[in-house]
Amino acid sequence: MSGAAPDPDVSTTDATGAHASAASRAPAPPAGISRGELAMVVLLGALGLYLLLDAANIAVPGSSNTIGPRFFPYLVGGVVLATALALGFRVLRGDRGPADESEDVDPDAPTSWPSVGIIVVAFLGHALLINVIGWPLAVTLMFALVAWALGARGVVRPLLAGGVLSVFVWIVFVKALNVALPGGTLLELATGWL
Amino acid sequence: MGALGDLAGGLADALTPVNLLFALLGVVLGTAVGVLPGIGPAMTVALLLPITYALEPTAALILFAGIYYGGMYGGSTTSILLNTPGESSSIMTALEGNQMAKAGRGAAALATAALGSFVAGTIATLLLALVAPTVVDLVIGITAADYFALAVLAFVAVATVLGSSPLRGLASLGIGLYLGLVGTDVLTGQERFTLGVPQLADGIDVVVVAVALFAVGESLYVASRLRRGPVQVIAASGPWFTRRDLRRSVGPWLRGTALGFPLGALPAGGAEIPTFLSYATERKLTKHPEEFGKGAIEGVAGPEAANNAAAAGVLVPLLTLGLPTSATAAIILVAFQSYGIQPGPTLLTSESTLVWTLIASLLVGNLMLLVLNLPLARVWVQVLRVPRPYLYAGILMFASLGCYAVNADPLDLVLLLAIGLLGFAMRRYGWPVAPAIVGLILGPVAETNLRRALAISSGDLGVLLDTWFSRVVLALALLALVVPIVLRAVRGRRSTPEELAAGEGLRHPDHGHRESVGARTDGPGGEEER
Amino acid sequence: MSQQQPVVVVGHVPTPRGRAALAHALAEAERRGARLVVVNSSRGDALVDEEYLQGDPLRRLHDELTVSGIPFELRQPVGRDAAEELADAVEQTGAEVLVIGLRRRSAVGKLLLGSAAQRILLAVDCPVLAVKGPPAITT
Repeated sequence: MSGAAPDPDVSTTDATGAHASAASRAPAPPAGISRGELAMVVLLGALGLYLLLDAANIAVPGSSNTIGPRFFPYLVGGVVLATALALGFRVLRGDRGPADESEDVDPDAPTSWPSVGIIVVAFLGHALLINVIGWPLAVTLMFALVAWALGARGVVRPLLAGGVLSVFVWIVFVKALNVALPGGTLLELATGWL
Repeated sequence: MGALGDLAGGLADALTPVNLLFALLGVVLGTAVGVLPGIGPAMTVALLLPITYALEPTAALILFAGIYYGGMYGGSTTSILLNTPGESSSIMTALEGNQMAKAGRGAAALATAALGSFVAGTIATLLLALVAPTVVDLVIGITAADYFALAVLAFVAVATVLGSSPLRGLASLGIGLYLGLVGTDVLTGQERFTLGVPQLADGIDVVVVAVALFAVGESLYVASRLRRGPVQVIAASGPWFTRRDLRRSVGPWLRGTALGFPLGALPAGGAEIPTFLSYATERKLTKHPEEFGKGAIEGVAGPEAANNAAAAGVLVPLLTLGLPTSATAAIILVAFQSYGIQPGPTLLTSESTLVWTLIASLLVGNLMLLVLNLPLARVWVQVLRVPRPYLYAGILMFASLGCYAVNADPLDLVLLLAIGLLGFAMRRYGWPVAPAIVGLILGPVAETNLRRALAISSGDLGVLLDTWFSRVVLALALLALVVPIVLRAVRGRRSTPEELAAGEGLRHPDHGHRESVGARTDGPGGEEER
Repeated sequence: MSQQQPVVVVGHVPTPRGRAALAHALAEAERRGARLVVVNSSRGDALVDEEYLQGDPLRRLHDELTVSGIPFELRQPVGRDAAEELADAVEQTGAEVLVIGLRRRSAVGKLLLGSAAQRILLAVDCPVLAVKGPPAITT
């Protein structure tokens, strides 16, 4: 319904073909059941069950009065399970959640799992490296890898941008705001006078 | 009178150089993130929470409040010139504002948005100052059961009224409530849902969850479907604000304020419903109905005023009850908590200086925003020339900073990534994120009050309906839960704002963005009931 | 078809140097009786790229080219560097000459960011006309 009226201004750029996918925003009515969302609903149902079952294992101190630490978990577990059942029913009937829109998201683009994968690996890697090589260096590598996964060109520029930004942020937050972030031996020596 | 005296005192404190500097920093940052895609005020405040370790409360909260107000202004600029509303509350602005810009009236659209935001923000902030003490007087005696009822209303409203799909909102809320349960029970000291992991005994840090759901989830989601290619920027051309524009704008500004402030202040608030209502109102009242849909200035003036007034309104339940009704408010609440301050009826007396300085600095910030935005709209558009790869890499850098700074534990970063992947999946399938945040932050408060109420009544659930207050509030919550679902079943359509829009025959702008309150409903969902 | 009519390729951006290049290219095409291929590209990695023509400015360019009477083709590829796109256009059309506008950049800027003009010169086989300002009025 929303994409029905074509935008006259966008259509002129369509001639080039380059912008066509972004411009023809008519949402294709999806057919069938969304397996991904069904999986999420199953996980949600599992969470509800887990809450209900594990709540029974919460120790209740003898001295506690009528309402102990189990009551609210039972309540939440019940709500979660009921929601999962109702949502599961809807999803099985073909209901689909409208994917979140964002200015930088192309709703018609196929999911780029490689980009997501690289970012996940880069982030995980930097988490493990922080205490070894310091935050600025670890985060520079992460920054460059993420930028590269998102289509930044070259090697030098992403590394340079990440390096400059991370050292600047590190100095502001560590030296001016006293946030605890390991700087790495070199940077900590170099900025010892600050 | 007392309030005005207190406000004057607050103004004196807000005008110190340091506080002015933080207000300026806040509004500049807020405008920038309001303009930038992918980042909203909620994410920005979440990313900057570590500075609460370094700054004193007044400075940090002034900064955050500036970001909160600034985000509203920034959104209007991109709505008008690019047709990309940065926040869901700017969708209505984009509707008429972009048409005005296309018709060569961009300058007037920007002017009425900025002036309207300023007028509404100023009036609403003054109203906040006047109303807050009265509300405190009213609620100072509320019982634990009443408070629980309010929390339930906030849960239901955030989950069902604002989101596109009530069930998905509830699902998100459930996830947030679960994350809030993990850890050690405050009242009995028992571990709950910690899976025996010692790090989880202290609970999952709110900062980690907020940063993960907003920053990491958004970055992964954008990476999965990266848009290539620029969007069209329309030059802010045409005559500046004419006398005729002023005449046509004043009414919508005031009506927008009148709609926005009370609706924002309700625990079922948020800034977007008032903008929809304001737009519908102006459309009915206008003397130029033929211009609507083609660039009517009333359609920019009203919603912009409504959205800023609602932003101030949201602060009423936050400051007087400790009740967050939007994602940004929830995270500002976390900032209070990280200083050991629990907003609630006693806040105004126990932290009087802080609150009044904060409110006064909102007035100052509002003035700064007018100066920053009215002549500089073009400059802000330049912010959008940041290449996307660097923008999202930078967001992840700040996510790492904010999350690591909490406990200096790399394990938190792994948890951040895991919850970030959850946020990615939620975005992908249209599960709104805001209910999870509100559930996480308000859940423990709700539980404490529930248990306190039931302890007093020795377990009799009837206590929850003992007062008129709790009865009315719970009835409202029930309505908020049932009405969207019934409406959906009866009409085969979706929830309130969209119905309003669809009923009015509006067309959503090309790329709406519901950064802070969940997924937009436009699109595939519309076909679901065939 | 490139055998039938010579081709002039020009890189165009809505800035003074881009307009200068376009003016020179129009003159070149007229002199050679050539077809004009105007390339206006965008890396497409930012939400806003003011050098990429859309809407009214695009229409104005279209009108301007139509009025000139020279057969033209407007290409607006998205996603790669302008240098790569221009080299592609030259190779694909077998262009006689490529016209580009030069940006003034300091030595340090060149060192850090490289020079698009230099990459074009190295990549392209045909003669390159690099201009800094509009042509002197000679016609």
